Amino acid sequence: MFRLDILIVALGFISNVFCALSSAEEENGNGRYFIEGRVFPAEDQDPTNWQVDTRVHVNGGEYIGFIKDDGSFVIHNVLTGSYVVEIVHPDYFYEPIRVEINSKGKYRARKVNYIQTSQIIQVPYPLRMKVMSKIRYFQVREQWRLTDFLFNPMVIMMVLPLLLIMILPKMMNDPDTKEDFKQISNMAKMSEFPEMSEMFTSLFSKGSAKVNAKPKQVKKRQ
Amino acid sequence: MCIYEDQIGKFDWRQTYVGRIKFAQFDTVSTAKRIIVATEENVLAALNLKTGQVVWRHVFESASSGNIQLLHVGEKITTVTGSNPYLVRGWDSASGVLMWEWTLALQNDQQAVYSEWWVQNNKLVHLLPVIGSHLEVTMYNLLTGSNRGATSKLPAVWNNDGCVLTAPYYTCVSGNMGSQILLSLDVTSNVIQIISKPLSNFINLKESIGGNLRPLDNSVVPGFIVDDKKVLLIKENSFEAVGKELVDEMASATVIDGGNEQVLLQTWQDDEKGFQLTAYSISTNSEVTEIQCSDPTMSIPEAEFLAVMCSRKAKEQYACRLLVNAADDALHLMQQGGRSLWTREEALANVVTAEFVDLPVSDTEAAIESEFDQKEGSVWSAFSRRLHTQYTQLQNLIRNLQGQSAPEDSTNALVRDYFNLHKIMVLITEAGKKLHALVLLDEDETVQVFPISAAPLVENLYMYVAEKETGKVQGYALKYNGVSVEAQRTWSVQLGGPGPAQIVAVATRSRLERVRSPGRALADRSVLYKYSNPNLVLFVVEKPDPTHKEVVTAVVLDAVTGALLGASSHRRARALPLAVHADNCFAYLYRSEKHRRLEIATLELYEGQERWLEPDVAFSSFASDRAPAVERQAYILPATAAAAAFTITERSLADRHVLLGLTTGAVIEIPWAYLEARRGLTGGDEALLPYTPELPLPSEASLNYNRTVERVRGVLTAPAGLESTSLVLVTGLDLFYTRVAPSKTFDLLKDDFDYYLITIVLGALIVATYSTKYFASRKMLKLAWK
Repeated sequence: MFRLDILIVALGFISNVFCALSSAEEENGNGRYFIEGRVFPAEDQDPTNWQVDTRVHVNGGEYIGFIKDDGSFVIHNVLTGSYVVEIVHPDYFYEPIRVEINSKGKYRARKVNYIQTSQIIQVPYPLRMKVMSKIRYFQVREQWRLTDFLFNPMVIMMVLPLLLIMILPKMMNDPDTKEDFKQISNMAKMSEFPEMSEMFTSLFSKGSAKVNAKPKQVKKRQ
Repeated sequence: MCIYEDQIGKFDWRQTYVGRIKFAQFDTVSTAKRIIVATEENVLAALNLKTGQVVWRHVFESASSGNIQLLHVGEKITTVTGSNPYLVRGWDSASGVLMWEWTLALQNDQQAVYSEWWVQNNKLVHLLPVIGSHLEVTMYNLLTGSNRGATSKLPAVWNNDGCVLTAPYYTCVSGNMGSQILLSLDVTSNVIQIISKPLSNFINLKESIGGNLRPLDNSVVPGFIVDDKKVLLIKENSFEAVGKELVDEMASATVIDGGNEQVLLQTWQDDEKGFQLTAYSISTNSEVTEIQCSDPTMSIPEAEFLAVMCSRKAKEQYACRLLVNAADDALHLMQQGGRSLWTREEALANVVTAEFVDLPVSDTEAAIESEFDQKEGSVWSAFSRRLHTQYTQLQNLIRNLQGQSAPEDSTNALVRDYFNLHKIMVLITEAGKKLHALVLLDEDETVQVFPISAAPLVENLYMYVAEKETGKVQGYALKYNGVSVEAQRTWSVQLGGPGPAQIVAVATRSRLERVRSPGRALADRSVLYKYSNPNLVLFVVEKPDPTHKEVVTAVVLDAVTGALLGASSHRRARALPLAVHADNCFAYLYRSEKHRRLEIATLELYEGQERWLEPDVAFSSFASDRAPAVERQAYILPATAAAAAFTITERSLADRHVLLGLTTGAVIEIPWAYLEARRGLTGGDEALLPYTPELPLPSEASLNYNRTVERVRGVLTAPAGLESTSLVLVTGLDLFYTRVAPSKTFDLLKDDFDYYLITIVLGALIVATYSTKYFASRKMLKLAWK
């Protein structure tokens, strides 16, 4: 990988020199120039066929370039002016670069800055377009976590009364308050669902004895 | 606004197209069976021979620089694109990767349009005919573009504009009427050999006009048709007439190589007999019946052979693949005997506009609705009807539970669903018809109504006519005077001030649009009332300016009275044909030449803190003479847009978002809160975002994730039956459909709603309640016994 990098850098350097020497040659007679560069795919991209899905758009599709096997591209027949070169791939994001060709045929490549248009950060020409990131189109579904489950309002609703009913009386060992608390809870039970309880207990116990016994118990105590 | 990964394809679909086919060839070299096509839409694609699906596709520039002039499929694919300068490219047919590329500029720019190209012996041949003078032939090395130096000029004074090229022969009819001569020349041979024969040898000149040549469509032997009748082939430097004449004048004809004999194929559309295909062996002068077809049920208007491939098996049976292009842009692949293998409706790559049409309600739903319609009848009959409908509903329910769908025939299958999300889309393509009552206004200000019976319906109708090139807008009031409809000019405006201006974009309100609220609440609990005029029209005008090059002006007019209600202008800018309008909001795009970026500007009209009209009073353009307050703002769009639309919901209760189709193929959803003209206003209004110059375009806002839509042309929206949801259709080279929920799906359970959890929790709660009760009572019993 390291060796390859050196090679690419060297190639880039050589072509840079070449361009500097032969800026006049890039013109093909009609006052037309070409923009050239090279696209480097992401490491996880399919190495055989990524070139077909990747396109080079100049000024949002005014000129369209295609990528050769080795990743290089040339946009032909470009007039002097300022162009935004972007690499379009459905899954990967590349940073766009502005290329300016002046009337003498000199090239300048720089970072695109739409807000501070006078700020110039130069980048090497011929262009070297590298993947910035894989585009994330989707929201990530939340993973199931125990804490999420415990703090779910429904679970809290279930657990909290349980705590109140079961643990609170045990914690309060004082017999008087215990008695009071029981009375209160009995009252609450009585008023809230007496019919439902009767219905269910009769359903489940299949006998009327308990049903009759229970209210009696409660009444006795009161 | 964003979707989850598991929702791919749940609400959306995409169909890919390539456009009307211009050139096609079978790829016989590579092992994968494919058809390589080049289209009028400047697309190069490989189609799977068996299914017709796109294997790979390259989309060239939509301007003339992307026009495909030549497609040649050999070992590699060669294309010539553009219009002086041309680009010659070579592609690998299996993968579609670019192999070589060189550019070619012709010196003679004006004549360049008459250029003809073909590939011969690994050389690209360029023929430039100069009428009445000579032919220029240049051969280039296909891979590098080097041309051994020379352009050969062949003298040809007989060259005229009726000549045809059937590579490498260039054929003309020359001479005076009645004594025309047929001349043909192999332009690539080193020795100039002109084949010349009197035309009367082949056709009776007294019967026909004489001299109309038409080349055979993609024939294996160079050949042409004279006067839509006689088929002539060029073999061994002489003309050879085919024994059989063309059956139909309109027929498309080609010659194929079927093993040891050559076969002339013809196809045409007969008004009565339908699709016709005939095959005729040239050497044996007999019909080849197994290829022929006559099918009255099939209709392929103006069928034209794009590519034909035939092979003969051992049993002396033909196996053919015929690729046929039709006038309705459909592409058909047929085999011998006319059996269609697949069809591609390429007209859909050219959708002009679309309408969403509601489906009819199902029979049971209709029965329920009819109950409420019938006001008469006794209580008992209504009751029995109710019982009956509920019985059928119960039947349906049981059937559904059993896993069978209701017994439906094909027409019944298209019924409205509960939320009215399923709709029929009527797409109008470039070759289409529109059937509506039409009102036309002539140049001389007379009115025509189609159909005429609709004329009495014209009442209180106002029209405006905008002259695109001059920027002049005129308003008319249309009235029916008992006999005919008259137009009276009521107002006239020159947009963008005096002098010529060009109207680039016009935005009117969607007829599906409703207004939800008369105003918006501010932080100090007062109400800012909106200016809700239904007759507003936004014009975006571009005008040359002496000091600022071009000035873009946006003008809001009342289309009924012509009153100017709001305007905004941008110096050194070029307008884009993108503008949208809904309620009191306007948005339009322009390219700022000064900063070399795209900007989106928004306008909002407000009445102010006090309401002009009483509530429930309908707005009238004539009644109000007050000008609304105009809020303006502009934002940088860090992308190039090709289409724009507002989302529309049933009652406009949900938020309004702007959908932008970008040239990268993405469709981006931007909430209006980001574009709001009042954004950044100080005064403690919590609902407003602080102003930032550049609009954020997060990738999650892309509606079509990585299913990009090539060359977006339009974004169309329609409301669904659900208030939260708006249906979106993106047209372009591809079609993409999805639905969006601008305010999230507030009226629907989330699609990942956890039914199990809620059931388990409820069940556990009930169990816990009664078990604790049981244990408590047992404990109390024990206590009582103590």
